[in-house]
Amino acid sequence: MFTTYAPLVVDGLADAALIFFVAVGLTLVFSVVRILNVAHGSFYALGAYLSVVIGAFLAGRGWPVLSLAALVISPLAIALSLGPLLERTMLRWTYGRPEALQILVTFGLFLILEDLQKLIFGVQPYSQNTPMQLLGTSRIGGIVYLNYQFLLIGLALVVGISLRLLLKRSRIGKLIVAVVADEELARTVGIDAPRVFVLAFSVGVFLAALGGALASPTIGVAPGLGAEIMVLAFAVAAIGGLGQIEGAAFAAILVGFARAGAIYFAPEFQPVVPYLVMVAVLIVRPYGLFGSVGLRRI
Amino acid sequence: MTGFKLVASALLFACAIGSASAQTNKPTQIGWGVFTFTSGPAAAYGMPGRNAAELVISQINASGGIGGVPVKPIYVDEGQGTDGVIAEFRRLAADNTNQAMIAALSSANCLALAPVAEQLQMPTFMWNCDTHQLFLKDKYKYVYRTNSSTVPEFVADALYLLSVDANFKKVAIIDPDYAFGRDAGLIFKETLKALKPDVEVVAELYPKLGSPSYNTEISRLVSAQPDVIFSNFWGADLENFVRQAAPRELFTHSKVILALGESALQHVGTQLPDGVIVGVIGDGYWLAPDAQRKAQTKAFVESYRQRFNEYPVFPSFKMANTLYAVKAVYEKALATNKDRWPTRDDLIAAAKNLKVDTLTGTLALRADNDGLVDQIVGMTKKDPAYPFPVMGDMVRYPAGVVTPSVGTDPIEWIKGLKPSMLVTIPKPGSYK
Repeated sequence: MFTTYAPLVVDGLADAALIFFVAVGLTLVFSVVRILNVAHGSFYALGAYLSVVIGAFLAGRGWPVLSLAALVISPLAIALSLGPLLERTMLRWTYGRPEALQILVTFGLFLILEDLQKLIFGVQPYSQNTPMQLLGTSRIGGIVYLNYQFLLIGLALVVGISLRLLLKRSRIGKLIVAVVADEELARTVGIDAPRVFVLAFSVGVFLAALGGALASPTIGVAPGLGAEIMVLAFAVAAIGGLGQIEGAAFAAILVGFARAGAIYFAPEFQPVVPYLVMVAVLIVRPYGLFGSVGLRRI
Repeated sequence: MTGFKLVASALLFACAIGSASAQTNKPTQIGWGVFTFTSGPAAAYGMPGRNAAELVISQINASGGIGGVPVKPIYVDEGQGTDGVIAEFRRLAADNTNQAMIAALSSANCLALAPVAEQLQMPTFMWNCDTHQLFLKDKYKYVYRTNSSTVPEFVADALYLLSVDANFKKVAIIDPDYAFGRDAGLIFKETLKALKPDVEVVAELYPKLGSPSYNTEISRLVSAQPDVIFSNFWGADLENFVRQAAPRELFTHSKVILALGESALQHVGTQLPDGVIVGVIGDGYWLAPDAQRKAQTKAFVESYRQRFNEYPVFPSFKMANTLYAVKAVYEKALATNKDRWPTRDDLIAAAKNLKVDTLTGTLALRADNDGLVDQIVGMTKKDPAYPFPVMGDMVRYPAGVVTPSVGTDPIEWIKGLKPSMLVTIPKPGSYK
């Protein structure tokens, strides 16, 4: 019994952790900037590519331990460079315009970033599992687990709690919440709303890229990665309720367990199970599990 | 009136001469469409094929081309999807300077292209098309498989397993979720059922082709505690699976069969322990005794290594052997036609029942256009000469032993296999 279900729990949580990084970034951007960013998955893919390339470079130079640092440096570099640039050049002028236009602009951005990836990294798959090898394995109840999976679960917890504390306790968090609650009023009292938008969008980019970077040691990185995670992140955000951080966390766990459970008990349903969950939730609660009409986001 | 007749006769004569000239004169170049994956996860398998094509075609051209005419390859990336592949095939076939297609890598693309090739009357040589469904129901005139099919390839794996250690009961299968993976699962299971009826399949997983992560599938396999795990993953899927499964000791807890494992040995290196059963789905192993004995093959291996900085893997040999077979088809057609340049139909006629020496053995094209190729299976072992595992304890199953005869239903043929055949087949380690 233990040997059957314990791996399911670990796999479900580790999968949920990776989905959470992307989904919570998507939901944060939606809450603050009020744009459903279709290009969000591209930042996940860029995070994965960059950390693999930097990690392989460092490991190849005899510094394998530094490949762990690449998992954080890469998303940070992507967020600091692309976050402000894209928000100021492409997204800003779509604020307050019809949602269809916003989606088209971010879809265009997605296509540009996908091609840019192919231009920079080529079309062949990359892999770099040094960080996973460095952390080794643990044997529990006769089953070998990757310690890296436990790290992912721990990091997701840290990110989730930090994000909540940042929004509730810090000054910048309070500014973000104020802009989300009433942008006009916030501007009236002197809050620099455009700066808040840049910050929130960049944090969203960082979270997506962090998800990709952290996933990279356990996966093969190839074109198409961004589109795949994007669809999943949308489903998770919809299940949790768009704009809800706790909702994203809960929905990620739900989808993570559903995917792992499907592989154990009904493998043929594994590709569709997240969307079955989404449909089931939306039929009962059209605004998601944690969302409601008129509720303030974040 | 006389003048008109004269002009009309001259025109008719000129047309007749022009038409005959188009058929008999040598073209300035021969166009071959070469289909393989050069993008996406499948490129890890497709690029060695393309590399081999570049090398072989440049060697053919350097030695004077075919009948004095150079070959011009037109590469098509199968990574664009089946619709795009079909569109490219049609576009190339519409150009009369393109005389043959070397297509395709993916079984799904092969099944889609075969009727198109027939419709367009385009000689098509399936260089890596493994699915036995290709000739199962449909008969084709213009389509040949210069390769073996899933039946001999995966029957050979089951025979090897039973020869190495028949003392197992629980089996798990993990294959990609499309025709090639599903076919492999069925063939492997049916072969085991016929030769060892007490086998129990404890897990059967078919993750999506191109899936980036197999961690949950690996957990499922570990928790099912099978004695044997069979997989026909390939390309980046295979490499990802090995990298993700090795740290979790999957290869030491169960006897694992990687039916296409040789193609990943150089990339996964020492992560794969000794004792994993690996196949080459055919006879294309560069360290196989036949390959080592043949000067032409050794030269090919060395040229390949120098040009691409790695040794050729079995997809490289599938491509190279196909190209040499197509060259042989041209030479036979030219000899038959007494130097009249062959038409597309001449090529198809020349390919019938052709038997050619390849870089790694022989290829025989049967009456049903299917290919007969021996099957090499072995087990990973360390070799101090290389920084990656090589194949040891090799066996070479003659094509006739593992391939159903023409017109036989392959699954029924498998069901009819008798355990007594294990006594007579070559044993692991016998191929030296």
